[in-house]
Amino acid sequence: MKLFVVIPAYNEDKTIKRVLEDLLPMELDLIVVDDGSLDKTYKKAHETLDKQPNHGYIYRHIINRGLGASLKTGIEAALLKNADIIVTFDADGQHHPEDIKNVIKPIIDGKADVVIGTRDFNEMPLSKKLGNQIMNLITLIFYGIHVQDSQSGLRAVSRNAAELIDIHSRDYGVSSEIIYEIKKSNLKMKEVPIKTIYTDYSLSKGTDTKVGLKILAKLIRNILK
Amino acid sequence: MLMIYQIIGILVGLLGIVVTIIRFRDGKMSLGMLTVWSVIWILVIVISFYPESTGFFATITGIGRGLDLILILGLIGCYYLIFRIYNMIENIEEEITELVREIAIEKKDSESNSKDNPKNDPQNKRK
Repeated sequence: MKLFVVIPAYNEDKTIKRVLEDLLPMELDLIVVDDGSLDKTYKKAHETLDKQPNHGYIYRHIINRGLGASLKTGIEAALLKNADIIVTFDADGQHHPEDIKNVIKPIIDGKADVVIGTRDFNEMPLSKKLGNQIMNLITLIFYGIHVQDSQSGLRAVSRNAAELIDIHSRDYGVSSEIIYEIKKSNLKMKEVPIKTIYTDYSLSKGTDTKVGLKILAKLIRNILK
Repeated sequence: MLMIYQIIGILVGLLGIVVTIIRFRDGKMSLGMLTVWSVIWILVIVISFYPESTGFFATITGIGRGLDLILILGLIGCYYLIFRIYNMIENIEEEITELVREIAIEKKDSESNSKDNPKNDPQNKRK
């Protein structure tokens, strides 16, 4: 069974090396998508992946296209390399590599097509918690689906599911869109609790209140279109 | 005797038609858009010649004053165009993303091919 981990990265040169070093010993295939980073993300990822040849691939967007676009590139690349299971993993160091086993297990057991790693909101700092709750609410209102953590970056999809999920969203709205696609394609979804590593750095990234409101504005615009 | 605003209106309309035709001839405008814009500019000219004609339509639509009707139509037209442009940009953005993705995947593929087969690597050939 071929397992690919897709890591979208935009200006993550502070963390990318450590994240990849933690993942490499797990004998997985890694796909880094550098989303037109302006810092040394590409160089650092390249150096790290070169230490263990044939297990890591790095794809580079020549210009920044957003999280959604990067995920789609990574998933497409993994499918081309005959992946059976694809895991998406944030490059900011907030995920625990051990959790990969937890999110792929339901797929290996045939109990789910898509698994979402759910973070514990109680451990989340207030600004993050609020942003993520807004996003859960938006996902519920616009897509009619209640999930515990709609914005989690750690998820696993089976090959079949990855082929069905069609991502259009280019930015952070992608996480909600994936959940919508799961519903539309009648895929089996499972939520698995994961651990989150909060550092000052990872806190400065991702969904906070501001991003939540931005996504809300975009979703309303999409409806009016 | 024509008023100054009428002359300006006619000139703007004529200029509009010329620019529209030039853009069409250069292949920068579709036949559909040529028709739409020609109609708009001809209307501008006609209304400049006979400003009173708007009064007739204004009474029919119940708006009252001819000028108000023109302004309202103009505003609606502007909003429609903005909407069109917004959608166009959105499509272009999506196409750019698709291009960037293709380039990323293709580049990677040619890179790994040359790694597997050193003969294909242009840098090796030079050496």
